[in-house]
Amino acid sequence: MNAPDNNQEPANAPWDPVFLESRREALIILLLWVAALLWAVPYCYLNGFPETFVAEEFSTVWGIPSWLFWGIAVPWLLADVFTLWFCFFYMKDGDLGEEAPVESQEGA
Amino acid sequence: MSLPPIFNSSFLAEAGGVSPALFTFLGYTAAVFSLAVIANYLRKDGNFLSEYFLGNRGLGVWAFALTFAATSASGGSFTGFPSKIYSHGWILGLWIGSYIIFPICTMGFIGKRLNQVARRSGAITVPDVIRDRFRSAGFGLLAVALIVFFMSFNLIAQFKAGSLMLKTLLSGVGVFESGVTFLKDSIGGSVDPAYLLCLCGFGLAVIAYTTYGGFQAVVWTDVMQGVVMVFGVMIMLPLALYLVGKGAPEGVGSLEYATSRMVDMSPPRRGVAVFRPGGPEGNRAPLGEGSWIRIPGSDEGAEARLFKVIPKLALEERLRKRGEPWVAVLEITSPGDRSQVIENQGDRARSDFILEDLELQGYAYGAEDGRKGVYVTGPGPSPSSDAGFLPLSLVISFFFMWAISGSGQPASMVRLMAFNNTVTLRRSIFTVAVYYSLIYFPLVIIFCCARVLMPGMDAESDRIMPAMAVFLTENVGAGWLAGLLIAAPFAAVMSTVDSFLLMISSGLVRDIYQRNINPGASELRLKRLSYLFTLLVGGAALLGAVNPPQFLQDIIVYTGSGLAACFLAPVVYAIYWPRSNVEGCMAGMLGGFISHLSMYVGGIFANGSFFRPYRLMDFDPIIVGLLVSFLAGYLVTLRTPPPPEDLVRKYFYKPEISTGA
Repeated sequence: MNAPDNNQEPANAPWDPVFLESRREALIILLLWVAALLWAVPYCYLNGFPETFVAEEFSTVWGIPSWLFWGIAVPWLLADVFTLWFCFFYMKDGDLGEEAPVESQEGA
Repeated sequence: MSLPPIFNSSFLAEAGGVSPALFTFLGYTAAVFSLAVIANYLRKDGNFLSEYFLGNRGLGVWAFALTFAATSASGGSFTGFPSKIYSHGWILGLWIGSYIIFPICTMGFIGKRLNQVARRSGAITVPDVIRDRFRSAGFGLLAVALIVFFMSFNLIAQFKAGSLMLKTLLSGVGVFESGVTFLKDSIGGSVDPAYLLCLCGFGLAVIAYTTYGGFQAVVWTDVMQGVVMVFGVMIMLPLALYLVGKGAPEGVGSLEYATSRMVDMSPPRRGVAVFRPGGPEGNRAPLGEGSWIRIPGSDEGAEARLFKVIPKLALEERLRKRGEPWVAVLEITSPGDRSQVIENQGDRARSDFILEDLELQGYAYGAEDGRKGVYVTGPGPSPSSDAGFLPLSLVISFFFMWAISGSGQPASMVRLMAFNNTVTLRRSIFTVAVYYSLIYFPLVIIFCCARVLMPGMDAESDRIMPAMAVFLTENVGAGWLAGLLIAAPFAAVMSTVDSFLLMISSGLVRDIYQRNINPGASELRLKRLSYLFTLLVGGAALLGAVNPPQFLQDIIVYTGSGLAACFLAPVVYAIYWPRSNVEGCMAGMLGGFISHLSMYVGGIFANGSFFRPYRLMDFDPIIVGLLVSFLAGYLVTLRTPPPPEDLVRKYFYKPEISTGA
């Protein structure tokens, strides 16, 4: 990823790696939220909001209405798998730094 | 199935012979106090404020994960949410749709970076971070003011919620009723003595352990409460499936059977009625709240009608106009539900009354004649909205509401500032993801089963959690378990109240007193002030809750979404955007506050009530607030001078070359 867009600093500024990593991770999380929204909401709306309910067309998976099973339960499980991957294989560890002494605080 | 008298107001007292509710409350309080004492004893030397309000940034995986999860899961998760599932059916699975990514969004989105920025500045509170990051005392004070404003209202509402919950739990318990009678004689009739007693019991317990133990006590009680919550759900789920499956035909699964029963359900009708005794002389017991009455059908062969006398409050206005002998009633409209009630009630359902007069009202959505499937599809039945419970616009709003606005809660942000390293963060995100998966979707299943097992609770659905706990445990011959199950909602509300209490007092001691009035205050003085302010804030909230505002859940929604509208954009810009400056982020905070508030004020003109906000294009005010906040922050930042270079260096560059730290 390129250096952050900050028009007062040179492009090769020595940015903090934790800042860069966490910003990249935040972007992925935001995309995950969008993906979840684009899956769950249209799927459930198109399949679970019938204008007229027809009992014969209504189906369940393990007792859960199938629109909810495929629209929420399955993505929930997948989101947990994604979280597992994200937390243990993608997210970087970094040195968060030592506690700044109170005296260093400006205006304290 | 032989059932306990679940529709009697004192049902909890009778469960299991002894009172599991009272036992739970006392055992619970004792455990919480023990943890607070241990926390106080173990408090490390060093900076008192950092330890008291933030635990010295030393939280490990379990402590961090469970305090985060328990604080986020407020009392609503175990009262309001089950009540909504019971009232509207499977659609609640979509209502909480964004919980599928809630933990990773709320913890991963800003967690690592916020913790780093807080360390660099030495910040203990959220206003601290804002003040130091932008080097602006005014911005810090604005943040404190907004936190104190929103959280004070929220705290009063949560105190009320906790007290009402306790009142429900203890209703009918001998010792408690004696206390209520004593209090009634002492204070007269100005305040409900049962509520007052519960408020004092609940309030004083929370204030005491929070004041004494500080953040560590709150965290460790959160851990215990978090464990109780998940155990409660994990015990209820198999019990609910087992009981609902008892009526299933061979080869049909429990949940499949429950859903097929829900397909045929239609919403009940509510209204007022007059009954007069019509049976043989002898049984003339009056009809009390919770009584069931069977009225034979008017035509030959027609099925009997089934009514339940419900609390007057539900239809107070209509009853006041008519006076005695009118009573508030609920009529069950589905044949399957009627059979279930008759099976549950047995001889307790009365048939010695004649229906003399009746005025009923159906649901605004879902009550059309012959309509099926309303409890298993969207938008779900609604008593008041003809668009249904969850139209598309609200589906989208709630997707924002949980995952996005959850990231913007200052109480969660403080926890994100408290973990010890990134390994803890990574493991905790996954732990909370598993934890929430074990709680929220199972809750939907459990209370869909409750709809099948316990029809007729629609007017008192707030009590469905304790009622279901007793129902399930009694039916498997383990009444003593009910105490553990009803501890779960109690745990949820306690863990939210204690963290809010600490947020407000930290704002007053740290952000106002230490950083603006007396920067040179001694450790001892700060320690005394921290205890004093936590005590005072708690005491003030307790007094405020003696005569609490009416709209309990609405206040909680208003303050939760308002805090997100104010804090999310400024904090995201502050930690991720080097170009962000004090003008832009203040504009974002104020823009979020004002636009969100204006939707609620607009509700006064458009809908006649502050708590029925104006919905721009049918979206919830949280969406308007967040959009305005992010937009205002972005535009004002670009139109104002960049921040000082040394500030950017301090917070965005590698520490070894920074100049400010």
